[in-house]
Amino acid sequence: MEFLSFIIFLTIATVLGLVLMFISNILGQKVKIVRKNDVYESGVNPVGSATRQYDIKFYVTAIMFLLFDVEIVFLLPWALAYNNAIDKGFLIAGFAFFITVLLVGYIFVINSKALQWEE
Amino acid sequence: MLEGILEILIKIVVVLGIPLGALPIIIHVERRGAGFIQRRLGPNRVGPFGLLQPLADVAKFMFKEEVHPTHVRPFFYTAAPLIALVVALLPLACIPLFGTFEFDGRTIYPEVFRSDMGIFYAFAVSALGSYGILLAGWASNNKYTMLGALRACAQMVSYELSLSTAIVAMIFVFGTNDIHGIVGAQTGYWFGFLPKWGIFVQPVAGMLFLVGIFAESNRLPFDLAEGESEIVAGYHLEYSSMKFAIFFMAEYIHMLALSALFIIFFFGGYSLLPGLDLIPTDNAFILPLLQAVSFITKIAIMVWVFVWVRWTLPRFRYDQLMDLGWKRLLPLGLVNLIVTVLFVYFRNQ
Repeated sequence: MEFLSFIIFLTIATVLGLVLMFISNILGQKVKIVRKNDVYESGVNPVGSATRQYDIKFYVTAIMFLLFDVEIVFLLPWALAYNNAIDKGFLIAGFAFFITVLLVGYIFVINSKALQWEE
Repeated sequence: MLEGILEILIKIVVVLGIPLGALPIIIHVERRGAGFIQRRLGPNRVGPFGLLQPLADVAKFMFKEEVHPTHVRPFFYTAAPLIALVVALLPLACIPLFGTFEFDGRTIYPEVFRSDMGIFYAFAVSALGSYGILLAGWASNNKYTMLGALRACAQMVSYELSLSTAIVAMIFVFGTNDIHGIVGAQTGYWFGFLPKWGIFVQPVAGMLFLVGIFAESNRLPFDLAEGESEIVAGYHLEYSSMKFAIFFMAEYIHMLALSALFIIFFFGGYSLLPGLDLIPTDNAFILPLLQAVSFITKIAIMVWVFVWVRWTLPRFRYDQLMDLGWKRLLPLGLVNLIVTVLFVYFRNQ
Protein backbone atom coordinates (compact mmCIF):
# COMPACT_ATOMS: atom_id res chain seq x y z
CA MET A 1 0.00 0.00 0.00
CA GLU A 2 2.82 2.38 0.81
CA PHE A 3 4.54 1.74 -2.50
CA LEU A 4 1.25 2.05 -4.34
CA SER A 5 0.85 5.54 -2.88
CA PHE A 6 4.41 6.36 -3.94
CA ILE A 7 3.76 5.16 -7.48
CA ILE A 8 0.52 7.19 -7.69
CA PHE A 9 2.41 10.26 -6.42
CA LEU A 10 5.18 9.76 -8.98
CA THR A 11 2.64 9.35 -11.80
CA ILE A 12 0.69 12.46 -10.84
CA ALA A 13 3.88 14.52 -10.50
CA THR A 14 5.08 13.35 -13.93
CA VAL A 15 1.74 14.08 -15.57
CA LEU A 16 1.71 17.53 -13.96
CA GLY A 17 5.18 18.19 -15.34
CA LEU A 18 4.22 16.99 -18.83
CA VAL A 19 1.09 19.16 -18.88
CA LEU A 20 3.10 22.21 -17.83
CA MET A 21 5.76 21.44 -20.43
CA PHE A 22 3.39 21.21 -23.37
CA ILE A 23 1.02 24.00 -22.37
CA SER A 24 3.17 26.71 -23.93
CA ASN A 25 3.86 24.47 -26.90
CA ILE A 26 0.13 24.65 -27.68
CA LEU A 27 -0.69 28.16 -26.49
CA GLY A 28 2.52 29.98 -27.39
CA GLN A 29 2.88 31.97 -30.58
CA LYS A 30 5.14 30.64 -33.31
CA VAL A 31 7.36 32.91 -35.36
CA LYS A 32 9.73 31.17 -37.74
CA ILE A 33 13.10 32.88 -37.83
CA VAL A 34 15.97 30.55 -38.57
CA ARG A 35 18.65 32.42 -36.64
CA LYS A 36 16.52 32.29 -33.51
CA ASN A 37 17.33 28.61 -33.11
CA ASP A 38 21.09 29.12 -33.09
CA VAL A 39 23.36 28.64 -30.10
CA TYR A 40 22.96 31.53 -27.67
CA GLU A 41 26.45 32.71 -26.86
CA SER A 42 25.84 36.43 -26.38
CA GLY A 43 25.39 37.09 -30.08
CA VAL A 44 28.85 35.89 -31.02
CA ASN A 45 29.16 33.06 -33.54
CA PRO A 46 30.04 29.94 -31.53
CA VAL A 47 33.54 28.52 -31.88
CA GLY A 48 34.02 24.78 -31.54
CA SER A 49 31.91 22.21 -29.74
CA ALA A 50 30.39 22.76 -26.31
CA THR A 51 31.37 19.39 -24.89
CA ARG A 52 35.08 19.80 -25.28
CA GLN A 53 37.58 19.32 -22.46
CA TYR A 54 36.72 21.01 -19.20
CA ASP A 55 38.59 21.49 -15.96
CA ILE A 56 39.75 18.32 -14.20
CA LYS A 57 38.82 19.88 -10.84
CA PHE A 58 35.12 19.15 -11.42
CA TYR A 59 35.95 15.50 -12.03
CA VAL A 60 38.14 15.30 -8.91
CA THR A 61 35.43 16.99 -6.85
CA ALA A 62 32.88 14.44 -8.04
CA ILE A 63 35.15 11.52 -7.09
CA MET A 64 35.91 13.02 -3.69
CA PHE A 65 32.20 13.53 -3.12
CA LEU A 66 31.55 9.89 -3.93
CA LEU A 67 34.20 8.73 -1.44
CA PHE A 68 33.14 10.94 1.45
CA ASP A 69 29.42 10.54 0.87
CA VAL A 70 29.68 6.76 0.97
CA GLU A 71 31.58 7.03 4.24
CA ILE A 72 28.90 9.29 5.71
CA VAL A 73 26.22 6.87 4.52
CA PHE A 74 28.03 4.19 6.56
CA LEU A 75 27.73 6.42 9.62
CA LEU A 76 23.93 6.71 9.40
CA PRO A 77 23.09 3.10 10.37
CA TRP A 78 25.81 3.34 13.02
CA ALA A 79 24.09 6.37 14.59
CA LEU A 80 20.79 4.46 14.60
CA ALA A 81 22.31 1.28 16.02
CA TYR A 82 24.08 3.09 18.85
CA ASN A 83 20.94 3.76 20.90
CA ASN A 84 19.84 0.13 20.95
CA ALA A 85 23.29 -1.34 21.49
CA ILE A 86 24.21 -2.93 24.83
CA ASP A 87 27.99 -2.76 24.53
CA LYS A 88 28.31 0.92 23.64
CA GLY A 89 32.07 0.96 24.20
CA PHE A 90 32.56 -1.44 21.29
CA LEU A 91 30.55 0.83 18.98
CA ILE A 92 32.53 3.86 20.15
CA ALA A 93 35.80 2.03 19.37
CA GLY A 94 34.53 1.19 15.91
CA PHE A 95 33.49 4.80 15.38
CA ALA A 96 36.92 6.02 16.51
CA PHE A 97 38.68 3.70 14.07
CA PHE A 98 36.36 4.61 11.20
CA ILE A 99 36.63 8.36 11.75
CA THR A 100 40.43 8.12 12.08
CA VAL A 101 40.66 6.45 8.69
CA LEU A 102 38.29 9.08 7.29
CA LEU A 103 40.33 11.94 8.72
CA VAL A 104 43.63 10.48 7.48
CA GLY A 105 42.11 10.23 4.02
CA TYR A 106 40.80 13.76 4.29
CA ILE A 107 44.17 15.17 5.32
CA PHE A 108 45.83 13.27 2.46
CA VAL A 109 43.34 14.74 -0.02
CA ILE A 110 43.86 18.28 1.25
CA ASN A 111 47.67 17.91 1.32
CA SER A 112 47.81 16.53 -2.20
CA LYS A 113 46.03 19.73 -3.33
CA ALA A 114 43.25 17.75 -4.98
CA LEU A 115 40.71 20.36 -3.97
CA GLN A 116 42.84 23.44 -4.61
CA TRP A 117 40.75 25.78 -6.74
CA GLU A 118 43.06 28.79 -6.82
CA GLU A 119 46.81 28.44 -7.35
CA MET B 1 -9.09 -0.65 -1.28
CA LEU B 2 -11.07 2.02 -3.14
CA GLU B 3 -11.31 4.04 0.05
CA GLY B 4 -7.55 3.71 0.51
CA ILE B 5 -6.87 5.01 -3.00
CA LEU B 6 -9.29 7.90 -2.42
CA GLU B 7 -7.41 8.77 0.76
CA ILE B 8 -4.10 8.69 -1.13
CA LEU B 9 -5.49 10.95 -3.84
CA ILE B 10 -6.78 13.49 -1.30
CA LYS B 11 -3.39 13.54 0.39
CA ILE B 12 -1.61 14.01 -2.96
CA VAL B 13 -3.87 16.93 -3.86
CA VAL B 14 -3.09 18.58 -0.52
CA VAL B 15 0.64 17.82 -0.64
CA LEU B 16 1.04 19.08 -4.22
CA GLY B 17 -1.52 21.87 -3.91
CA ILE B 18 -0.02 23.66 -0.93
CA PRO B 19 3.50 24.19 -2.39
CA LEU B 20 2.27 24.89 -5.91
CA GLY B 21 -0.33 27.31 -4.58
CA ALA B 22 2.19 28.97 -2.29
CA LEU B 23 4.71 29.38 -5.11
CA PRO B 24 3.24 32.59 -6.61
CA ILE B 25 2.95 34.04 -3.10
CA ILE B 26 6.60 33.19 -2.35
CA ILE B 27 7.77 34.78 -5.58
CA HIS B 28 5.68 37.84 -4.82
CA VAL B 29 7.07 38.06 -1.27
CA GLU B 30 10.56 37.75 -2.71
CA ARG B 31 10.06 40.62 -5.18
CA ARG B 32 8.26 42.86 -2.73
CA GLY B 33 10.86 41.97 -0.08
CA ALA B 34 13.60 42.97 -2.50
CA GLY B 35 11.82 46.28 -2.98
CA PHE B 36 11.43 46.71 0.77
CA ILE B 37 15.11 46.00 1.49
CA GLN B 38 16.39 48.16 -1.34
CA ARG B 39 14.00 51.02 -0.48
CA ARG B 40 12.01 50.88 -3.69
CA LEU B 41 8.45 49.79 -4.40
CA GLY B 42 8.70 46.47 -6.20
CA PRO B 43 5.78 45.17 -8.29
CA ASN B 44 2.67 47.06 -7.11
CA ARG B 45 0.66 47.80 -10.27
CA VAL B 46 -1.25 44.60 -11.05
CA GLY B 47 -4.10 44.21 -8.60
CA PRO B 48 -4.12 45.38 -4.97
CA PHE B 49 -0.50 45.66 -3.67
CA GLY B 50 0.59 43.95 -6.89
CA LEU B 51 -0.85 40.66 -5.66
CA LEU B 52 -1.97 39.62 -9.13
CA GLN B 53 1.52 40.08 -10.59
CA PRO B 54 2.46 36.34 -10.24
CA LEU B 55 -0.70 35.35 -12.12
CA ALA B 56 0.16 37.78 -14.89
CA ASP B 57 3.65 36.28 -15.02
CA VAL B 58 2.27 32.75 -15.33
CA ALA B 59 -0.09 33.83 -18.13
CA LYS B 60 2.80 35.49 -19.92
CA PHE B 61 4.99 32.38 -19.58
CA MET B 62 2.23 30.22 -21.06
CA PHE B 63 1.73 32.40 -24.12
CA LYS B 64 5.42 32.86 -24.87
CA GLU B 65 6.91 31.22 -27.90
CA GLU B 66 8.76 28.02 -27.23
CA VAL B 67 12.09 28.16 -29.03
CA HIS B 68 13.45 24.81 -30.14
CA PRO B 69 17.18 25.28 -30.66
CA THR B 70 18.58 23.13 -33.46
CA HIS B 71 21.85 22.21 -31.78
CA VAL B 72 20.46 20.51 -28.65
CA ARG B 73 20.13 16.80 -27.90
CA PRO B 74 16.33 16.73 -28.24
CA PHE B 75 15.37 13.87 -25.94
CA PHE B 76 17.46 14.93 -22.97
CA TYR B 77 16.72 18.60 -23.62
CA THR B 78 13.00 17.88 -23.16
CA ALA B 79 13.51 15.40 -20.32
CA ALA B 80 15.67 17.71 -18.16
CA PRO B 81 12.95 20.13 -16.97
CA LEU B 82 10.61 17.22 -16.32
CA ILE B 83 13.24 15.44 -14.21
CA ALA B 84 14.02 18.64 -12.33
CA LEU B 85 10.35 19.22 -11.44
CA VAL B 86 9.47 15.62 -10.54
CA VAL B 87 12.58 15.24 -8.40
CA ALA B 88 11.80 18.49 -6.61
CA LEU B 89 8.25 17.32 -5.90
CA LEU B 90 9.18 13.81 -4.68
CA PRO B 91 10.51 14.70 -1.19
CA LEU B 92 7.17 16.32 -0.35
CA ALA B 93 5.58 12.85 -0.35
CA CYS B 94 6.94 11.99 3.08
CA ILE B 95 6.90 15.35 4.87
CA PRO B 96 4.08 15.33 7.44
CA LEU B 97 2.13 18.55 7.79
CA PHE B 98 0.66 17.45 11.13
CA GLY B 99 0.86 14.50 13.51
CA THR B 100 -1.09 11.27 13.23
CA PHE B 101 -4.54 11.41 14.81
CA GLU B 102 -7.48 9.12 15.48
CA PHE B 103 -10.65 9.72 13.54
CA ASP B 104 -13.69 7.44 13.22
CA GLY B 105 -11.74 4.60 14.81
CA ARG B 106 -8.94 4.83 12.25
CA THR B 107 -5.46 6.30 12.52
CA ILE B 108 -4.94 9.02 9.91
CA TYR B 109 -1.38 9.48 8.67
CA PRO B 110 -0.56 12.85 7.14
CA GLU B 111 2.15 11.82 4.70
CA VAL B 112 1.49 10.31 1.27
CA PHE B 113 4.38 7.87 1.37
CA ARG B 114 4.58 6.53 4.90
CA SER B 115 7.85 4.80 5.69
CA ASP B 116 10.08 4.51 8.73
CA MET B 117 12.91 5.51 6.39
CA GLY B 118 11.07 8.68 5.36
CA ILE B 119 13.89 11.02 6.27
CA PHE B 120 16.45 9.05 4.23
CA TYR B 121 14.04 8.88 1.31
CA ALA B 122 13.57 12.67 1.41
CA PHE B 123 17.31 13.35 1.36
CA ALA B 124 17.97 10.71 -1.28
CA VAL B 125 15.45 12.08 -3.75
CA SER B 126 16.30 15.71 -3.06
CA ALA B 127 19.94 14.91 -3.82
CA LEU B 128 18.80 13.75 -7.26
CA GLY B 129 18.14 17.42 -8.05
CA SER B 130 21.63 17.75 -9.47
CA TYR B 131 20.72 15.30 -12.28
CA GLY B 132 18.12 17.66 -13.74
CA ILE B 133 20.61 20.50 -13.70
CA LEU B 134 23.51 18.51 -15.15
CA LEU B 135 21.29 17.01 -17.85
CA ALA B 136 19.89 20.42 -18.81
CA GLY B 137 23.37 21.92 -19.10
CA TRP B 138 24.78 19.04 -21.10
CA ALA B 139 21.79 18.53 -23.40
CA SER B 140 21.65 22.23 -24.30
CA ASN B 141 25.02 21.78 -26.02
CA ASN B 142 26.16 25.28 -25.23
CA LYS B 143 29.35 26.36 -23.50
CA TYR B 144 27.60 28.60 -20.99
CA THR B 145 25.08 25.98 -19.98
CA MET B 146 27.75 23.28 -19.71
CA LEU B 147 29.89 25.44 -17.43
CA GLY B 148 26.88 26.57 -15.41
CA ALA B 149 25.70 23.00 -14.91
CA LEU B 150 29.16 21.79 -13.88
CA ARG B 151 29.51 24.63 -11.41
CA ALA B 152 26.03 24.12 -9.94
CA CYS B 153 26.54 20.39 -9.66
CA ALA B 154 29.99 20.58 -8.05
CA GLN B 155 28.62 23.10 -5.57
CA MET B 156 25.58 20.97 -4.71
CA VAL B 157 27.56 17.79 -4.11
CA SER B 158 30.21 19.62 -2.05
CA TYR B 159 27.72 21.11 0.37
CA GLU B 160 25.79 17.87 0.57
CA LEU B 161 28.69 16.42 2.57
CA SER B 162 28.54 18.93 5.42
CA LEU B 163 24.74 18.70 5.33
CA SER B 164 24.99 14.91 5.69
CA THR B 165 27.32 15.18 8.70
CA ALA B 166 24.70 17.44 10.33
CA ILE B 167 22.03 14.79 9.64
CA VAL B 168 24.18 12.04 11.16
CA ALA B 169 24.68 14.14 14.30
CA MET B 170 20.96 14.88 14.59
CA ILE B 171 19.92 11.25 14.07
CA PHE B 172 22.48 10.24 16.66
CA VAL B 173 21.08 12.73 19.17
CA PHE B 174 17.43 11.83 18.60
CA GLY B 175 18.16 8.10 18.31
CA THR B 176 15.46 7.59 15.68
CA ASN B 177 14.94 8.12 11.98
CA ASP B 178 11.17 8.30 12.16
CA ILE B 179 9.96 11.84 11.39
CA HIS B 180 7.18 11.62 13.98
CA GLY B 181 9.71 10.39 16.54
CA ILE B 182 12.05 13.29 15.75
CA VAL B 183 9.22 15.81 16.08
CA GLY B 184 7.96 14.08 19.23
CA ALA B 185 11.40 14.41 20.82
CA GLN B 186 11.23 18.16 20.24
CA THR B 187 7.79 18.70 21.79
CA GLY B 188 7.74 20.34 25.20
CA TYR B 189 9.84 22.86 27.07
CA TRP B 190 13.07 23.08 29.02
CA PHE B 191 12.85 25.13 32.25
CA GLY B 192 9.23 25.82 31.37
CA PHE B 193 9.88 28.32 28.58
CA LEU B 194 12.60 27.21 26.14
CA PRO B 195 11.18 24.93 23.39
CA LYS B 196 13.00 21.61 23.09
CA TRP B 197 14.06 22.38 19.53
CA GLY B 198 17.04 20.68 17.93
CA ILE B 199 18.75 23.99 17.26
CA PHE B 200 19.39 24.40 21.00
CA VAL B 201 20.87 20.89 21.22
CA GLN B 202 23.02 21.07 18.09
CA PRO B 203 23.61 24.70 17.08
CA VAL B 204 26.66 23.82 14.95
CA ALA B 205 24.75 21.16 13.03
CA GLY B 206 21.94 23.67 12.57
CA MET B 207 24.35 26.19 11.07
CA LEU B 208 25.84 23.55 8.74
CA PHE B 209 22.40 22.47 7.64
CA LEU B 210 21.26 26.05 7.00
CA VAL B 211 24.33 26.84 4.88
CA GLY B 212 23.84 23.49 3.14
CA ILE B 213 20.27 24.23 2.08
CA PHE B 214 21.27 27.63 0.74
CA ALA B 215 23.95 25.98 -1.39
CA GLU B 216 21.74 23.03 -2.38
CA SER B 217 18.98 25.27 -3.68
CA ASN B 218 21.48 27.50 -5.52
CA ARG B 219 20.34 30.62 -3.68
CA LEU B 220 22.36 33.72 -2.99
CA PRO B 221 25.03 33.98 -1.62
CA PHE B 222 25.73 30.64 -3.33
CA ASP B 223 24.11 31.23 -6.72
CA LEU B 224 27.31 30.55 -8.63
CA ALA B 225 25.29 28.50 -11.13
CA GLU B 226 24.54 31.77 -12.87
CA GLY B 227 26.66 34.82 -13.43
CA GLU B 228 25.61 37.70 -15.64
CA SER B 229 29.09 38.56 -16.83
CA GLU B 230 30.54 35.05 -17.27
CA ILE B 231 27.92 32.45 -18.11
CA VAL B 232 24.72 34.56 -18.33
CA ALA B 233 21.88 32.46 -16.88
CA GLY B 234 23.80 29.21 -16.40
CA TYR B 235 22.28 25.81 -17.03
CA HIS B 236 18.81 26.95 -18.17
CA LEU B 237 20.07 29.45 -20.72
CA GLU B 238 18.65 27.67 -23.77
CA TYR B 239 15.21 27.12 -22.25
CA SER B 240 12.31 29.40 -22.98
CA SER B 241 8.67 29.94 -21.98
CA MET B 242 7.17 27.25 -19.72
CA LYS B 243 10.30 25.07 -19.72
CA PHE B 244 12.22 27.92 -18.13
CA ALA B 245 9.36 28.45 -15.69
CA ILE B 246 9.55 24.77 -14.71
CA PHE B 247 13.21 25.14 -13.71
CA PHE B 248 12.24 28.21 -11.73
CA MET B 249 9.43 26.31 -9.99
CA ALA B 250 11.65 23.31 -9.32
CA GLU B 251 14.22 25.54 -7.64
CA TYR B 252 11.63 27.09 -5.33
CA ILE B 253 9.97 23.76 -4.49
CA HIS B 254 13.38 22.26 -3.73
CA MET B 255 13.98 25.20 -1.43
CA LEU B 256 10.63 24.66 0.30
CA ALA B 257 11.22 20.93 0.77
CA LEU B 258 14.68 21.49 2.24
CA SER B 259 13.29 24.22 4.52
CA ALA B 260 10.65 21.78 5.73
CA LEU B 261 13.36 19.21 6.52
CA PHE B 262 15.41 21.87 8.30
CA ILE B 263 12.39 22.76 10.43
CA ILE B 264 11.69 19.09 11.18
CA PHE B 265 15.23 18.60 12.46
CA PHE B 266 15.91 21.92 14.17
CA PHE B 267 12.68 23.78 14.89
CA GLY B 268 10.36 21.03 16.00
CA GLY B 269 8.55 20.36 12.71
CA TYR B 270 4.81 20.45 13.30
CA SER B 271 5.13 20.72 17.10
CA LEU B 272 3.06 23.63 18.31
CA LEU B 273 4.48 27.11 18.43
CA PRO B 274 4.87 28.55 21.93
CA GLY B 275 1.48 29.94 22.94
CA LEU B 276 -0.63 27.77 20.63
CA ASP B 277 -0.50 24.88 23.12
CA LEU B 278 -2.70 26.88 25.51
CA ILE B 279 -5.70 26.41 23.19
CA PRO B 280 -7.88 23.50 24.43
CA THR B 281 -8.02 20.60 21.95
CA ASP B 282 -11.42 19.08 22.71
CA ASN B 283 -12.32 18.51 19.04
CA ALA B 284 -10.30 15.84 17.20
CA PHE B 285 -9.50 18.21 14.33
CA ILE B 286 -8.20 21.15 16.35
CA LEU B 287 -4.79 19.67 17.17
CA PRO B 288 -3.88 18.72 13.55
CA LEU B 289 -5.09 22.13 12.42
CA LEU B 290 -2.92 23.92 14.97
CA GLN B 291 0.02 21.70 14.05
CA ALA B 292 -0.39 22.54 10.36
CA VAL B 293 -0.61 26.25 11.21
CA SER B 294 2.58 26.00 13.29
CA PHE B 295 4.46 24.15 10.55
CA ILE B 296 3.36 26.54 7.80
CA THR B 297 4.23 29.56 9.97
CA LYS B 298 7.72 28.19 10.55
CA ILE B 299 8.20 27.57 6.83
CA ALA B 300 6.96 31.08 6.05
CA ILE B 301 9.56 32.51 8.43
CA MET B 302 12.21 30.36 6.71
CA VAL B 303 11.15 31.72 3.31
CA TRP B 304 11.52 35.24 4.62
CA VAL B 305 15.02 34.34 5.87
CA PHE B 306 15.87 33.17 2.35
CA VAL B 307 14.72 36.52 0.91
CA TRP B 308 16.47 38.47 3.65
CA VAL B 309 19.80 36.69 3.13
CA ARG B 310 19.52 37.05 -0.63
CA TRP B 311 19.44 40.84 -0.46
CA THR B 312 21.89 41.18 2.42
CA LEU B 313 24.97 39.09 1.64
CA PRO B 314 27.23 39.53 -1.40
CA ARG B 315 28.13 36.53 -3.54
CA PHE B 316 31.20 34.38 -3.10
CA ARG B 317 33.90 33.76 -5.64
CA TYR B 318 33.91 30.15 -6.87
CA ASP B 319 37.17 29.09 -5.22
CA GLN B 320 36.00 30.67 -1.94
CA LEU B 321 32.79 28.69 -2.21
CA MET B 322 34.59 25.39 -2.70
CA ASP B 323 37.11 26.17 0.05
CA LEU B 324 34.29 27.00 2.45
CA GLY B 325 32.54 23.73 1.64
CA TRP B 326 35.51 21.38 1.69
CA LYS B 327 38.01 22.99 4.04
CA ARG B 328 35.78 24.68 6.62
CA LEU B 329 32.33 23.12 6.80
CA LEU B 330 33.21 19.45 6.22
CA PRO B 331 35.91 19.34 8.98
CA LEU B 332 33.57 21.36 11.20
CA GLY B 333 30.80 18.82 10.61
CA LEU B 334 33.11 15.88 11.39
CA VAL B 335 34.46 17.56 14.54
CA ASN B 336 30.91 18.36 15.64
CA LEU B 337 29.97 14.71 15.14
CA ILE B 338 32.98 13.48 17.14
CA VAL B 339 32.29 15.92 19.99
CA THR B 340 28.61 14.94 20.05
CA VAL B 341 29.39 11.22 20.13
CA LEU B 342 31.97 11.59 22.91
CA PHE B 343 29.66 13.86 24.91
CA VAL B 344 26.73 11.45 24.71
CA TYR B 345 28.99 8.47 25.54
CA PHE B 346 30.65 10.01 28.59
CA ARG B 347 27.44 11.57 29.91
CA ASN B 348 25.83 8.13 30.08
CA GLN B 349 28.81 6.51 31.77
